[in-house]
Amino acid sequence: MIKRFGFWMEKGFLAAALWSMFLTILIFSFMLVLGLPLFKEGRLLSLLTSPWVPGEGQFGIYPMIISTTVISFLSLCLGAPLALGVSIFICLIQPGRLGRWLKKVVVLMTAVPTVVYAFVGVFLLVPLVQSVFSAGSGMNILTACFVLALLIAPTMILIFSNSFNNVPLAHQYAADALGASSAQKLFYVILPASWRGIVAGLILGTGRAMGDTLVALMLAGNAVAVPGSIFDSARTLTAHIALVTAADFDSVEFRTIFACGILLYLMTLLMVLAVRFLSSLKKEADL
Amino acid sequence: MNRFVEIGVALFAWLCAFVLLAAVGTVFVFLLIKGGAALNVQTIFGDTPVWEAIPLKKAVFNGLFPAIAGTLLLVVMAVGLALPVGIAAGIYLAQYSGSHMKSIFSLFCDILAGVPSILVGLFGFSLSIFLHKYVSTEIYPCLLISAASLSFLVLPYLIRTTQIALEQIPPEERLTALALGADKLQNIIYVLIPRSLSGIISGIILSIGRYAEDTAVIMLTGVVAMAGVPQSLLAKYEALPFFIYYISAQYTDMEELRMGYAAAIILVVICAVLFLAAFYIKNRLTEKALYSV
Amino acid sequence: MILRKYRWFVTVLLMISALVWTSAAMAQSLDVFKGEKGDLRISGGTAHIPVMKEAAKRIMTVNPAIHISIAGGGSGVGIKQVGERLVDIGNTGRTPTDDEVSKYGLKMFKWAVDGVGVIVHKKNSIRNIKKSDLIKIYSGEMTNWKELGGSDNPINIYTRDEASGTREVFWEKGLGKGAISAKAKVVVSNGAMKSGIATDPNGIGYTSVGHIDDTVATVTLDGVAPTIENVKSGSYKISRGLFSNTKGDPTGLTKKFIDYLFSPEGQKIVVDEGFIAVK
Repeated sequence: MIKRFGFWMEKGFLAAALWSMFLTILIFSFMLVLGLPLFKEGRLLSLLTSPWVPGEGQFGIYPMIISTTVISFLSLCLGAPLALGVSIFICLIQPGRLGRWLKKVVVLMTAVPTVVYAFVGVFLLVPLVQSVFSAGSGMNILTACFVLALLIAPTMILIFSNSFNNVPLAHQYAADALGASSAQKLFYVILPASWRGIVAGLILGTGRAMGDTLVALMLAGNAVAVPGSIFDSARTLTAHIALVTAADFDSVEFRTIFACGILLYLMTLLMVLAVRFLSSLKKEADL
Repeated sequence: MNRFVEIGVALFAWLCAFVLLAAVGTVFVFLLIKGGAALNVQTIFGDTPVWEAIPLKKAVFNGLFPAIAGTLLLVVMAVGLALPVGIAAGIYLAQYSGSHMKSIFSLFCDILAGVPSILVGLFGFSLSIFLHKYVSTEIYPCLLISAASLSFLVLPYLIRTTQIALEQIPPEERLTALALGADKLQNIIYVLIPRSLSGIISGIILSIGRYAEDTAVIMLTGVVAMAGVPQSLLAKYEALPFFIYYISAQYTDMEELRMGYAAAIILVVICAVLFLAAFYIKNRLTEKALYSV
Repeated sequence: MILRKYRWFVTVLLMISALVWTSAAMAQSLDVFKGEKGDLRISGGTAHIPVMKEAAKRIMTVNPAIHISIAGGGSGVGIKQVGERLVDIGNTGRTPTDDEVSKYGLKMFKWAVDGVGVIVHKKNSIRNIKKSDLIKIYSGEMTNWKELGGSDNPINIYTRDEASGTREVFWEKGLGKGAISAKAKVVVSNGAMKSGIATDPNGIGYTSVGHIDDTVATVTLDGVAPTIENVKSGSYKISRGLFSNTKGDPTGLTKKFIDYLFSPEGQKIVVDEGFIAVK
């Protein structure tokens, strides 16, 4: 009887695992199916390249695609150097008590809700950006990128420090024994050895920046024009989904958010595959 | 040249560390300054006396109590929905599956983990419309749908944590019971799970933190600006993160804004406590396990 | 000893599941009382929210068995949701179109009159605008405050999302259906419009007259100030009704709520919140 029970339990566990797999596919299929009318009418290309002017029947998400790309890229440009610097600090410059304490702070930072960062951004950063740069209101790409960089930095810091620490001690000692300074060790031993971890961290950071909804929704202004400068207001794919879902669920407008969803999903897929590819490279090259 | 590079690198590292700390510090100090004054009973319970509000005898209108209650209920439900599936799947991946299956499952988990939360929210919303049209017109975006969507969001973390916790048990311990004649299932129930409990529980607690802070999913699946404490699974509800978002754009006077700051502080405290609890449990349980057997 | 640890875990698990299932049971027993202890779902126009909240508060205080939930989203959302039976009452800040009425079988109830006023930051020196200039500003033709005699700063336009009835009315009556520049910042409610303008010295936007308070400054349109008196007298042209719509004739709790809005007490709430009563 126990054997029977064991058999069914195993099937139960398998079902749970299959359900999780199924879920991932289900989410994607829901979006495909619901966005189907868009493909049928052959509107796909125009969807991806035209602007969003529902009053004139134009439901293109091109401005949103550009905005998401710009905002993710810029946040990465702000956040990655920061993350790198802090990781170098924790692992190399001050690996003692100060470094350990800072790492704990970073870990705690990952527990802070996104909405709280965005909230502080609205009331502290927006007026600041407005008065310092005096170009329009403070709700623009720059503000959103500052907060987003702060958001993705902790995760990147943890991944970078992890890769730095994973460089075999033997290599680090060898560099020390040869009389290398910290900077030389960094540039010639640690960075080259941990490049995979660094790239993985960058990819994950980008993924997080692309997928974030609240910061962009609350801080970037949500204008539908293609942004001309970082002081312009912009609307990301994610903010667009949030805004339009509130509005409708039957019209063509609504169906365009499924196109946004499909795009985001595909981008996520690409990133996951890229990271996996990187970690598979690990196995052959580490001599 | 080298000396300059040396100093440059160190300077850069110090600068980054300083900038990071300054940024985080500013966030917290700002919140405390603006919202500290509002951290009192009135902010939470409004004009309703506490002893009537908690047993739900009287509704609270101007306080955060409904939002806090909503968040708590949401978390409990989401945990209840995700726990069995997550742990079971984790057990399967760690114990039963072959390596080929494992990498495929692992890929899907990674994808699900990377999917932006708003897409999960969109899925939940479409699901509720679908159910509304084809199953029962009584179904609207509500607490149940939000909890279910949230559980989808965090499932990969639970699975991954369980799987890793189980796989980290040293091989000697994994095989002992089997050598003594127990079958696979008995091994799992009596030996492996208790041994990996600390890892599993810290995974659960971290996921609770994620449920409490998420806004994008609940925005699309049932949270509203005013609903009181939800009376049933199919009711609309309020939640802290949504309240913070909503207030930031639509506060009508300084009173409400201050409530928003207080709500932000409360939410941060809740998440920090959960986080530290996970940390603590993980360390404590590991110690006990190590020394008690 | 290992079993002891395991038992604790199971207990916690069982407690959590028990909590989940009892709430499910609670839901079923509430179903029986649906007629008397009711659930009322309201969504739609954001201008209506203060009145809705006050009315809901009073009703729920008197009868704690009634449960009213209020969401925003804009007039478009209100119509769609009440049409799909996702809510019992859908609020709109504009008259539902004939299409919408026939498609969803809507019954409309206008319980207040409101206007849509143009607002700017308190520090902005401009206090009068000609309608023709307003159209140019929103279409993007006029881009600097100095063209109106103000400071040399770019004009930041704010507009509402597409579901908004306020936007619809402003676009029709204020802009004469003119274009709204794609560079306009989009905000999602009357409240959000107010906070946006209150923090942007170069901003210009539009919001419900009933919502206007001293955090922003109003601008007269062709010499007429957007005050509630001017809307009432008809001299301020951008006016609109605040509607609550139901699918088919309202019954039970829904009907009682709507009747309450038209009652003397309900109409007093309307006036207190800054709108014009219809009775």
